[in-house]
Amino acid sequence: MKMMQTNSNVTLEETRVQEDPKPESTKLETDVENEYCEVKVENLNFFYGSVQALFNVTIKVQEKGVAALIGPSGCGKSTFLRVLNRMNDLIPGTRLEGKVSIHGENIYTPNTDVVNLRKKVGMVFQHPNPFPKSIFDNIAYGPRIDGLKDKIMLSEIVETSLQGAALWNEVKDRLNEPALALSGGQQQRLCIARALAVKPRILLMDEPTSAIDPIATQKIEDLIRDLCANYTIIIVTHNMQQAARISDHTGFFLQGEMVEWGKTSSLFTNPEDQRTEDYITGRFG
Amino acid sequence: MNQKRWLTVLGVLLLAAVMIAAGCGGPAEEQAGEPVEEAEETNGEEAVQEPASIMLGGSDSEVNVVARLAEEYMNDNPHVSIAVTGGGSGVGISSLIDGNIDVANSSRPMKDEEMDALRDNHGEEPYAVRFAVDGVAVLVNDANSVETLTVDQVGAIYRGEITNWSEVGGDDREITLYGRQSTSGTYVFFMELVVQGEYSERKRNMAGTSDIVEAVIGDAGGIGYAAIGYADEDGVKALDIAADQDSEAYDPTVLENVTSGNYPLTRPLYQYMAGKPEGAQLDYLLFEVSEPGQGIVLEEGFYPITEADREFNKNALQ
Amino acid sequence: MVSITEKAMRAIFIFCGLAIILFLVGILYILLSNSMPGLIELGLGPFFAADRWNPGAYGEPTYSLLNMIYGTLKVTLGALIFAVPVGVSAAAYLAEIASPWEREFFKPIVEVLAGVPSVVLGFFGLVVLAPLIARVFNLNSGLTAFNGAILVGIMALPTIITLAEDAITAVPKEYRHASLALGGTRWQTIWKITIPAAFSGITASAMLGMGRAIGETMTVLMVTGNMVARPESFLDSVRTLSAGIAIDIGDVVFNSTHFHALFVAGLLLFLITFAVNLLADILIQRKPEVSK
Repeated sequence: MKMMQTNSNVTLEETRVQEDPKPESTKLETDVENEYCEVKVENLNFFYGSVQALFNVTIKVQEKGVAALIGPSGCGKSTFLRVLNRMNDLIPGTRLEGKVSIHGENIYTPNTDVVNLRKKVGMVFQHPNPFPKSIFDNIAYGPRIDGLKDKIMLSEIVETSLQGAALWNEVKDRLNEPALALSGGQQQRLCIARALAVKPRILLMDEPTSAIDPIATQKIEDLIRDLCANYTIIIVTHNMQQAARISDHTGFFLQGEMVEWGKTSSLFTNPEDQRTEDYITGRFG
Repeated sequence: MNQKRWLTVLGVLLLAAVMIAAGCGGPAEEQAGEPVEEAEETNGEEAVQEPASIMLGGSDSEVNVVARLAEEYMNDNPHVSIAVTGGGSGVGISSLIDGNIDVANSSRPMKDEEMDALRDNHGEEPYAVRFAVDGVAVLVNDANSVETLTVDQVGAIYRGEITNWSEVGGDDREITLYGRQSTSGTYVFFMELVVQGEYSERKRNMAGTSDIVEAVIGDAGGIGYAAIGYADEDGVKALDIAADQDSEAYDPTVLENVTSGNYPLTRPLYQYMAGKPEGAQLDYLLFEVSEPGQGIVLEEGFYPITEADREFNKNALQ
Repeated sequence: MVSITEKAMRAIFIFCGLAIILFLVGILYILLSNSMPGLIELGLGPFFAADRWNPGAYGEPTYSLLNMIYGTLKVTLGALIFAVPVGVSAAAYLAEIASPWEREFFKPIVEVLAGVPSVVLGFFGLVVLAPLIARVFNLNSGLTAFNGAILVGIMALPTIITLAEDAITAVPKEYRHASLALGGTRWQTIWKITIPAAFSGITASAMLGMGRAIGETMTVLMVTGNMVARPESFLDSVRTLSAGIAIDIGDVVFNSTHFHALFVAGLLLFLITFAVNLLADILIQRKPEVSK
């Protein structure tokens, strides 16, 4: 069944490529080209103080679909993810060179509205982190800080988001109970629902299932497959099989460098770089 | 590391024990015997040359003048060391009863139950000396237009019956009462002589006499009472007091008014001790009532004792 | 095989721990043994009667503590109304917003504030703050509950700031990250997530600050006027239990009824403070609860 899923995605991908009038080129970017890349990173070098963590990373992620980032621990995947919603700004002493564009806009200008950026680029963390509030208040938090007060509209958003996260049926009768009383898997889906509530375009997921049991993991993977129809999902995962299962594109990171980026099917069956092959075949982990 | 910490803890405990022991030093009489070396150096001209120490404590009204007297005495009698503390007449008397001081300064007479307690604790009779006369001044803010009041009026004010300065010929301003708490000697004296009833419950009670003065300085509608010696401050003035409506009002800061007995609010200042005074203590008390001593009393803003007071003192000093 | 040194250390530490219990028992014993005669002689009634505290009366002495309890409450609550918002905000600033060098600068200042002697603050209140209050509010005298509340609030601030800062810092940073990742500003994160999550710790800090405020004596003694009547407003003079005891006990005749009555007041004060501290302890133990 999984193989079939991958195949259908490959079909989709090829269709998309045919529709794309301008193939990737090394010429000067034009606005037309920018429109078709939801996330575009060019020559990104990232530093924690004097230590360089990312080396000359260039990547273009298309709209909608799932892009997975794999690689051994400490190779910069999470750092890269946090570049995209500027969560690295919270760490003092970080520095960045290169260009990062989301939906055509450079997000590292002095005028960038970071708050707005984070609404468009949502994030789900490795360890589920619901607020110590009720389920309802967790989901409603995002819309509320946006200024939305109307109870009816908030209830609608909460319901929609929970349905979108495949959690609605399990919690619809206990929305006022504490979120922390849910199981780990449920909490993570809650966090996904919470992120969906602010209607992002892009969803960043940093190893979302590494702290979850296998059955809940399965549910979340199914959820991701459903969501990618409407959202651009970039997921960092330690689990190669997971990447192979759910993503359309995969990027392999090694020691801060993006060694290879391509369609999941081809990267796993026919990697171009020797290092990629070594990693996939388990020669190092 | 273990040993070091243990030694530190032990050291701290030892230090604490030493400090507690030092603080628990016995009453005055036990400390008198310490500096023995000095006695051998003197040439034995005067009768009393053994080193001695006297501890006096109590009334805040008296502390300054007694300290001054003690200083003068010590200048001429270096073998005697005298310490003076305040805290209030009640504190002094309690300390005397407990045996922690030799002489209690009190601006009020000792009560019967206090005398009984002293007899019980010491097996001695209490003896009293009157060493100065105090006038209690009624203080108001400098800016207050009122200059004189009768004793009755002051009483009515402190009973809370008169509440506005306009009722006694002043500006239209609410009167704020200041005084001491109930255990102060001045409180009792004022109550019995002037208020002759209950103090108004709206009276502000200050912890010390100087606090009363500070309060009246800061309050244009304020009235307070204090020993005349405290009244000499910028920002307050003492009212002229008349015994009643038909009498003349007298200014307490004028010496004759008090020594002549014309100023109505006077009281003797006491010193109490357990047992008849002798040795250095007697010598010091005699100095206090001598001419130079009374001169110092005058300089400090109090008044010399009267003949009646000297008669009273005969019991203790002869 | 436990060494002699270890045995000795253990003995010393056990002794010190027991000594503390002994101190408390000793204090309780003195409180009870000195207040019992008063309670036996007067019963409980006069202490809660509708008259005033007047043991040195011209006529019949009265011993009501009611107005002093009221005074204590006025000053304490006034102090908290001032100190809790200021203290929690300062704690939030130190924990969340201050840069490392700003923190290095402010924390010692808070500690210095804690070290200001109460009598110094009292003098400041008597000589500087009282005339200022009198002028601003057009009063005769600035010796009011308001004056006391401000000064006691200042004294409670370091306690509140330190404990509230601990509580805020203890909030897991995952909550902050989640809020920021949802597009929350730093302020929204602090006000809607971090502070509510630290709620029980912050409440505990307020209660401990309150315990400090209830017992504050010297400052209150100097600036509140110690009037035995029931205060008419916050800008009127009051007498608190602590100051009421202090102002009389120095001079009171040993073992008189007045003396015993003061110990009854002291016992009451002890019980109130004990209850407040107990409540604070319970709150500190509670896990972070669901907040709105």
